[in-house]
Amino acid sequence: MRKMTAISEEIFSAIPLPTWRWLGVNEAKVPAGVNIKEAMRQEIVVAAGQQRTLSRQERAGASELHIRLEPGADFALEQAVLLTAGQSSATRLKVTVSDGAKFSYTGAYVGGAEAAAAVEVELLGKESRADVWALYLGDDRNKIDLNYIIRQQGRRTEANMQVRGALLTGAEKIFRGTLDFLQGTKGSVGRENEEVLLLSEDVRNRSVPLMLSHEDEVDGHHAVSVGQMDEEKLFYLQSRGLSPEEARRLMVTAVLQPVMDRFSEEVREKVMSELEGRLSHE
Amino acid sequence: MEQPKKKTYVEDIERALYDIKDIDRSRYKSKSGLTEEIIRDISRRKHDPQWMLDFRLKSLEVYHSLALPAWGPDISELNMDEIVTYVQPDAKLSGDWQEVPEDIKDTFDRLGIPEAEQKSLGGVGAQYDSEVVYHSIQEDLTRQGVIYTDMETALREQEELVKEYFMTLVPPKDHKFAALHGAVWSGGSFVYVPEGVQVDIPLQSYFRLNAAGAGQFEHTLIIVEKGASLHFIEGCSAPRHNVTNLHAGCVELFVKEGARLRYSTIENWSRNMMNLNTKRALVEKDGLIEWVSGSFGSHISCLYPCSVLHGENARCEFTGVTFASRGQNLDTGASVIHAAPHTSANINTRTISKAGGAATYRSAVKVTKNAPYAKCSVNCESLMLDDESRSDTLPVMDIQGAEANIGHEAKIGRISDEAIFYLMSRGIDENEARAMIVRGFVEPIAKELPLEYAVEMNNLVNLELEGTMG
Repeated sequence: MRKMTAISEEIFSAIPLPTWRWLGVNEAKVPAGVNIKEAMRQEIVVAAGQQRTLSRQERAGASELHIRLEPGADFALEQAVLLTAGQSSATRLKVTVSDGAKFSYTGAYVGGAEAAAAVEVELLGKESRADVWALYLGDDRNKIDLNYIIRQQGRRTEANMQVRGALLTGAEKIFRGTLDFLQGTKGSVGRENEEVLLLSEDVRNRSVPLMLSHEDEVDGHHAVSVGQMDEEKLFYLQSRGLSPEEARRLMVTAVLQPVMDRFSEEVREKVMSELEGRLSHE
Repeated sequence: MEQPKKKTYVEDIERALYDIKDIDRSRYKSKSGLTEEIIRDISRRKHDPQWMLDFRLKSLEVYHSLALPAWGPDISELNMDEIVTYVQPDAKLSGDWQEVPEDIKDTFDRLGIPEAEQKSLGGVGAQYDSEVVYHSIQEDLTRQGVIYTDMETALREQEELVKEYFMTLVPPKDHKFAALHGAVWSGGSFVYVPEGVQVDIPLQSYFRLNAAGAGQFEHTLIIVEKGASLHFIEGCSAPRHNVTNLHAGCVELFVKEGARLRYSTIENWSRNMMNLNTKRALVEKDGLIEWVSGSFGSHISCLYPCSVLHGENARCEFTGVTFASRGQNLDTGASVIHAAPHTSANINTRTISKAGGAATYRSAVKVTKNAPYAKCSVNCESLMLDDESRSDTLPVMDIQGAEANIGHEAKIGRISDEAIFYLMSRGIDENEARAMIVRGFVEPIAKELPLEYAVEMNNLVNLELEGTMG
């Protein structure tokens, strides 16, 4: 009995429908050394019609954020998980969105030993919206394990999930992104896109874009693109006077830029400086 | 209050042809259930060599040691104690159609098998319940060294070849139903195409399961040697019974250097069938495997042909269509393992779900460290015709190394009003516009099917045109 409890504690999050076990993507484990029972927990309610923003910088350990958006509320959250060598984190975000409310999220995962994140957004109300963007940079043999789920329940909801990332020097990453159209979510639209740059021979990328539907009057689309740098573009940049390192750095930041642009200036500078530091050390 | 949109009604496949039952006149049936005694009995009746009996018994042990899968459709209603694993028809294997018993012959006649043989096939195999009752191959293919026979004959006459390849690609420990197959397999086809031989006209095997409460466990083993080519067509059907039938076949395809194999399947099992089939291909350097897969029948299906791209420049093309209607849970897809440099794959699927049916596209693309410059493109589109139905997409990409290019794209939804409006603005009437769009949706798949199956699939889009699509 005790053994079973120990196993269940290790699971941090799971995809809504499991697939083949040999792929190792059904569940995300709690990172070693992180105690999710001691998560720093915050609850936020944004009242009807109000507009709010919140900027959080997460450090090592576990954190949990529960957000409720009342009708017509508009909430923008930015969350930067910037870890130093050897640190690990587990961040959980649960959001419910009522009629006409809008949730906007921008996340970044850079550095550390292991970063696990679970983002769950419920578009409960009619015409509710979620705009979820994230970037990651894996390097120095770290692990990034993300599980994002947007459930669309109200009528005419809109979900947009955009993720960009780059992997170098032994990094391992799993991104699970689920768009779930529940029965009755008529007229809803869902979009999901992940772009991954592979920059080193010893990296491992796993992408799991799930799209589930129990409603016909929806429009869902997901796409994943995984590849390396375009050699011709690199060559062109070098022909214009950039060093190979500068050209490479420019191309990585170009991939991440659409997410970067959504951060406030203060967070953008922090994330950018972390990225620059890591890209110049590779 | 919003008015619900009218739906376009898409008819089910006409099943009357497939649902005609013959009287069960089997010569022998094993007891239902799965015991060592039953396995020994099947093996004795089939005159297996000792190594095959040992293999069956080992597989049975593996079967008992494995759990049911924790993913996919719920198959808990399957009770192996009620399944008869071996049904020997009252007919001997024959190469002469006239010698096949009348009722069995009539069944295959209705399904158009002899007609297809005369018109467009290089060879035909017909399995009825657990045994192959008819096999033929054109003489010029035999002269070129092509072997096309039932698995039992192959086990007697090509024992070393069978021993070298049998269940090496799908080992019994792979999953519970692979182990079950290893224990009770019976019938199926064996094809050997020697080096450099091009088999220009297709070979076809047809599997018919007539007995109620029975299982069919045919094994298909195809070896296409260096530089050779083959098109193999597999068709499956069964009449509807009120008890669960089980199909747990296994297909192993070996595509050698520079060889090419196209494997086309139309599964049209009855709606009481659990179709838990395993198909896998090993493709060597410069080889090509092409899968064309249509899943229309069965109550529950789990079918994901897997291609292991083992040699440099090996390629895979997968084209699949799945149509799930009331009472059906069809979990289909494909997997590709890139295990050598410069390998490439292209996966293209369409699913339609209606009347409470559930269609799932499940896939895996794995690029190992040994496969730099791998390329894979996946495209799946799902059409839902009402909100009782389900359509789920569960793809996984697992890529190691920096030199891979992988793209995946999936769409789900209904046919847009704008598309209909556009076609109408070009002078096409509304009904025809809708029909064109649905036909267009499955067209990339239909054009890959053999002609007679393309006609069958066109019945799918036999639209009763009313209201808007979606």
